[in-house]
Amino acid sequence: MRLACVYVPQLALQAALRRCPEALGTPAALLASHGKNKPRVTELDAEARRAGVRPGMTAAQAVATAPALRLFTATAADAEAGAAALADVGYAFAPRVEREGERIFFAAEDLKRLYPAGEPAIAQALQAHAARLGFGARVALAATKGAARVASRAHELAVVPEDRAGTRAFLAPLPVHLFTDDDDLRAAFRRWGTRTAGAIAALPVDAVALRLGPTGAAVARLARGDDDEPFHPQLPPDALEEAIELDYPIYEIEPLAFVLRGLTDRALARLSGRSLACAGLTLRLALDPRGLDVREVPLAAPTREAKTLVDLIRLDLARRPPEAAVVGAHLIALPARVRATQLDILRPTGPAPDRLATTLARLAALVGPENVGAPAVVDSWREEAIAMKPYAPAGLSSAPIPSETRLCLRHRRPPEEVEVLMGRAGPTALRGVETTARVLVAAGPYRLSGEWWQDAAAGGSWAREYWDVHASDGAVYRLHRDARDGRFYLDGYYD
Amino acid sequence: MSSRAQGLVLDPELTARLVSSERLAEARGRRSSGIAPLDGLLGGGWPRAALCEIFGRRSSGRTAIVRAALAAAIAAGETTALVDTGGTLDARAAAASGLPLSALLWIRCAPAQALKATDLVVAAGGFGVAVLDLCDAQLRAPDAAWVRLRHAARAQGTTVLVATGTRRLGSFAAAAVELDGGRPSFFGPPPLFAGFYTRATRARGAHDRESQLPCVSLAFTSRS
Repeated sequence: MRLACVYVPQLALQAALRRCPEALGTPAALLASHGKNKPRVTELDAEARRAGVRPGMTAAQAVATAPALRLFTATAADAEAGAAALADVGYAFAPRVEREGERIFFAAEDLKRLYPAGEPAIAQALQAHAARLGFGARVALAATKGAARVASRAHELAVVPEDRAGTRAFLAPLPVHLFTDDDDLRAAFRRWGTRTAGAIAALPVDAVALRLGPTGAAVARLARGDDDEPFHPQLPPDALEEAIELDYPIYEIEPLAFVLRGLTDRALARLSGRSLACAGLTLRLALDPRGLDVREVPLAAPTREAKTLVDLIRLDLARRPPEAAVVGAHLIALPARVRATQLDILRPTGPAPDRLATTLARLAALVGPENVGAPAVVDSWREEAIAMKPYAPAGLSSAPIPSETRLCLRHRRPPEEVEVLMGRAGPTALRGVETTARVLVAAGPYRLSGEWWQDAAAGGSWAREYWDVHASDGAVYRLHRDARDGRFYLDGYYD
Repeated sequence: MSSRAQGLVLDPELTARLVSSERLAEARGRRSSGIAPLDGLLGGGWPRAALCEIFGRRSSGRTAIVRAALAAAIAAGETTALVDTGGTLDARAAAASGLPLSALLWIRCAPAQALKATDLVVAAGGFGVAVLDLCDAQLRAPDAAWVRLRHAARAQGTTVLVATGTRRLGSFAAAAVELDGGRPSFFGPPPLFAGFYTRATRARGAHDRESQLPCVSLAFTSRS
């Protein structure tokens, strides 16, 4: 089996840099505090190191050393999102991934069919995808986990030979400190004069185990290419999460939408890497000084368009603004496959599924999700009753063309109250917001009632007398008199 | 024709879907309006990949013609959309007259959002007919909006049918039909509304050679 290892050195710093991509290439360092101590530099990039910043410095010392230094505070939200995004690098290439701190491992055997140029091409593709998600990664392919781990620490891109002898030869020149993080073990090997893996591999494993215990024996076996560390891959989580903790509270919707745009972009980049789209959004906003605002943002169809998602979030925030200033945001995206359709050779091609999904989402953002879909008839005798169902054009079948042209009633929803002058044979005149006319012919009344079993809260029972009236403005209107209050309402007109 | 070819019996479903070579050779073509006399007036139907307009006063049959165009497009396997300002759709009557509601993308919106929504639908591509219902809307759209919509319709091969109270598209429409006041008919006594007759006149697209008719009379029956 071939295993790929993607290693992101200083993952916490790189995770913080993901939300601030403009800081890439400039001196940057991560501050973390332990207990009540002052925050100190724990991780720094190459630029900061070149400028003289060292781990353990306080913020003041670091800035005094390198005035252009960008300092980030380590947050749990960044760390979680960074680790999850790193796992998504693997899930873009394999169904199961093992997560281990700043590394991930996954089986890369099948990738050879996708990349006929060979394993160096696979390693480059992995590194390029990690870069798209905001990580500077090191990649190694090897037959065992241990060899892949060591190779990823030693080289930017590494392909370790598949056979045991080749693995041993590859590892032989590498220094011992790459094989273990245990300082005591490193010191012991140094005392023995074994500075490379080749020197350790020459020692008998039993003798090393006797003197240095099981950890020393594991290093000796790894140096000989005999690593037997098990591989424990896991399926991806159901939802994809991105989070941010803000340095200052945000009171207005537009600045908040700007922050959420970054979260959405990062979430969608991770989803697109797995060929998925976002089918649902949950937004958890941390409020100042305490409290949580949780909201579900409905989506008409799965989409990968950040602008659409941000528009929907903005609409939702405008409809129901948070009760207090926002100090943190947590976005949970529900992944889904983009709808696929089977084309028919004899029928016209409809909209592409992903384009349609995006269009539905953008329409929902424009007019509200409750106003986009397919109309549906409601099981009710109320003439104006109508429902909206999700629009799914897949599986359409050809319908016969109606033989006669029937009139349509253009409904007013809800019916508009109008003044009606009644004569002996029915309405003789009507006056509403847009209509004032004499009635030339009145047909009716047609009495309808129903839903007496409903509670008053659900609309209650109703009883109406309907009239079709030809008015002097040329239109044929449909009106009704509500039997409960005796008022007249305009239902619409025939057209 | 050979005896073997004469004896060939095609599947009726397949026969119904066969497209004539003349139709295939037609660059843009027309799509049926769903009403035979109107097809005659328009020289075969509404033009494809173009902006079309239908206008008239209340109760002149605009909505019935729009619904017939949608039903005909769905029957031909096309994807359709209705941008409905005010949400006036009569779903019960539409379903009863044979319009498969699940195949229709229905967008309820305010007049100010209607053009943007139609733009989005047409830009998605793949829609055969998109209807912009502005019958009761007070909307002053700039010419640039109609130009943009016309370009999008041309690029995507969509027939954009705009239903209005008064003529708005002018020369932007490839075909325009004016409906001249419906004449209602009642029978009884007591009087019962039976439907109405209306006269459709081609207000634009008169250069079409296919049609020699200046106007046609259309009959719409009441649902009751």
